[in-house]
Amino acid sequence: MIGNPFAGSDLFADRRRVAALVFGVLALAVVPFTTTAYVTEIVFTGLVFVMLGVSWNLLAGYAGQISLGHAAFFGIGAYVAAWLTTPTRAGLPEAIQTPVLLALVGGGLVAALVALAVGPIMFRLTGHYFAIGTLALAAIIQLVLLDQRQFSGGSSGYFIQGGIGEDLMFLVAVAATVGMVASTYLIVNSRLGLGMRAIHGGEGAASSLGVNPLKYKMYAFVISSFMAGLTGAIYAMFTLYVNPESTLNVVWMIDTLVVVILGGMGTMLGPIVGAALFLVLDNGLRAVAGEFATTIEGLLIILFMIYAPSGLYGLIKDRYLGGEESETAEPEAEGA
Amino acid sequence: MPPTELILQILVNGLLLGGIYAVAALGLSLVFGIMDIVNLAHGHMLMIGAYVAILLFAEAGITPLVGMFVAIVLLFLLGMALQKVLLERVVGEGIEQPIIVLFGLALVLQSLGRIVLGSDARSTDIGIPGQGIELGPVLLSFPRTVTFVVAVVLIMGTWAFLQYTTTGQAIRATSQNRDAARYMGIDTDRVYVITLGIGTALAGAAGALLSMLFPITPFVGWSYLLKAFAVVVLGGVGSVAGTLVGGLLLGVSENLGTLYLGGGIRDIISFTIFLVVLIVRPQGLFGTGGGDEE
Repeated sequence: MIGNPFAGSDLFADRRRVAALVFGVLALAVVPFTTTAYVTEIVFTGLVFVMLGVSWNLLAGYAGQISLGHAAFFGIGAYVAAWLTTPTRAGLPEAIQTPVLLALVGGGLVAALVALAVGPIMFRLTGHYFAIGTLALAAIIQLVLLDQRQFSGGSSGYFIQGGIGEDLMFLVAVAATVGMVASTYLIVNSRLGLGMRAIHGGEGAASSLGVNPLKYKMYAFVISSFMAGLTGAIYAMFTLYVNPESTLNVVWMIDTLVVVILGGMGTMLGPIVGAALFLVLDNGLRAVAGEFATTIEGLLIILFMIYAPSGLYGLIKDRYLGGEESETAEPEAEGA
Repeated sequence: MPPTELILQILVNGLLLGGIYAVAALGLSLVFGIMDIVNLAHGHMLMIGAYVAILLFAEAGITPLVGMFVAIVLLFLLGMALQKVLLERVVGEGIEQPIIVLFGLALVLQSLGRIVLGSDARSTDIGIPGQGIELGPVLLSFPRTVTFVVAVVLIMGTWAFLQYTTTGQAIRATSQNRDAARYMGIDTDRVYVITLGIGTALAGAAGALLSMLFPITPFVGWSYLLKAFAVVVLGGVGSVAGTLVGGLLLGVSENLGTLYLGGGIRDIISFTIFLVVLIVRPQGLFGTGGGDEE
């Protein structure tokens, strides 16, 4: 099994680590003002990867629900932000025109509402059925938007007006990333997180101890979808362009997977390490291997999953940090 | 309201297409029922099978009906290799690892396909002369009829193989109870290798057949995966007859939906049917629960 669903997280456990994180955030915040637009854009992509990774990790790594439809919630968030800031282009009444920051939250909220609506239905499915069900759900949402040209701009896309500039959006992204990492940390270490990790460890055992699996799955799904939607909204307001083929593309799902798998599923630092690594890898690979970059990413997913399922962070921790989390770990029940 | 002849024609076309869907789904169902993993790369295996037929047809003028056998052999070997090299290490380790490994594999196949084969849609032609059959107002077009007959033969062949050969018996025994099968001296690892080989070979066959009816691109994998899984869900896991009925149902409902609602939403229809059935009746419309049946 992956990660360690019973161990809490030590992300903010000691002062050195907190100092390193604070320093990291400050360093990020000055990126747009000290580097070129090109670098800013690359780092922004990295932040998007962190946010997607953290949100998917909450659902899949901690609550153990492998969703393959995360890209849909990212896409929903992006489109809602686009509609709220540039309503007339989609034929929507001008009255819903919203300031950018509110539109971002709106993107997250609508994604969360969709998750709230479809969650009780999707969670009638478990395991493989849930994975493939979410894949189908995402495909339907993408196809519907592709078909509804007036709302989505069709394959030629939809330009957004009224952004607040790349530098400011970058800072928003930094703030959102910090917010998501911190709230995930709080959730994972709360009763809520304990419930999620319990159903991951063994749904039957957890429910016999009075943990309601559906409740915790829903919390994980809705929160994770809110974060994915917010990420999509931020991405849309940074690039000021959405299009159903690229914004809802399964590629976002793949990137999320690569980030979380490389870093380590079910760990706090995993998605952060993974996003940094993936960013270097992705840009490096595109320079070296050109069009084979995606192929190599797929191979990496496979190899990591087989040979290092705890990810790079897991490897580092086992080797250099003495595997502190695993000392407190109890023997794991095999997932149902 | 479209004229009755048109509706009848669309119905018949859907039935004939459904046979091919059933072939693709049978491969997926076999693997799911016996190994308890969903081959997320199944649609991409189908895409490769289609390209085997397309390349043989384009380069050497070989009819896809022959190309299909080449695709079957190649994908049988590919499936066996996949089980030996990758899946053997993760099957039975919970669900996360197989799902993610197969998702990664699908990604590799799709991106390699795009690089090697290009993104243009390609298709084949049946390549042999023949005439359709006129049944009153309805025309059973020659390629559609031939592919349907071949599909049904493939399904019956697979069924007979499972029913009457020693290997088939070993496969069925393993699907009922892996441990018990092993105690009886069945090499269950070998059974898994053969099962995945057969599963992907059927995907390859379906791909070769589909290349005669629809254009193929390296990106069709996800769509056919979902369609094949839709049929599995409609028919119930592990039921050969159910799979055939499920395939026909999906073919017909897709075609009728397209007629009434427009061609742009063909995939939306089949995916929606899939989700609805999956949620309302996860054991399938006709199934007895498949893998859960002990």
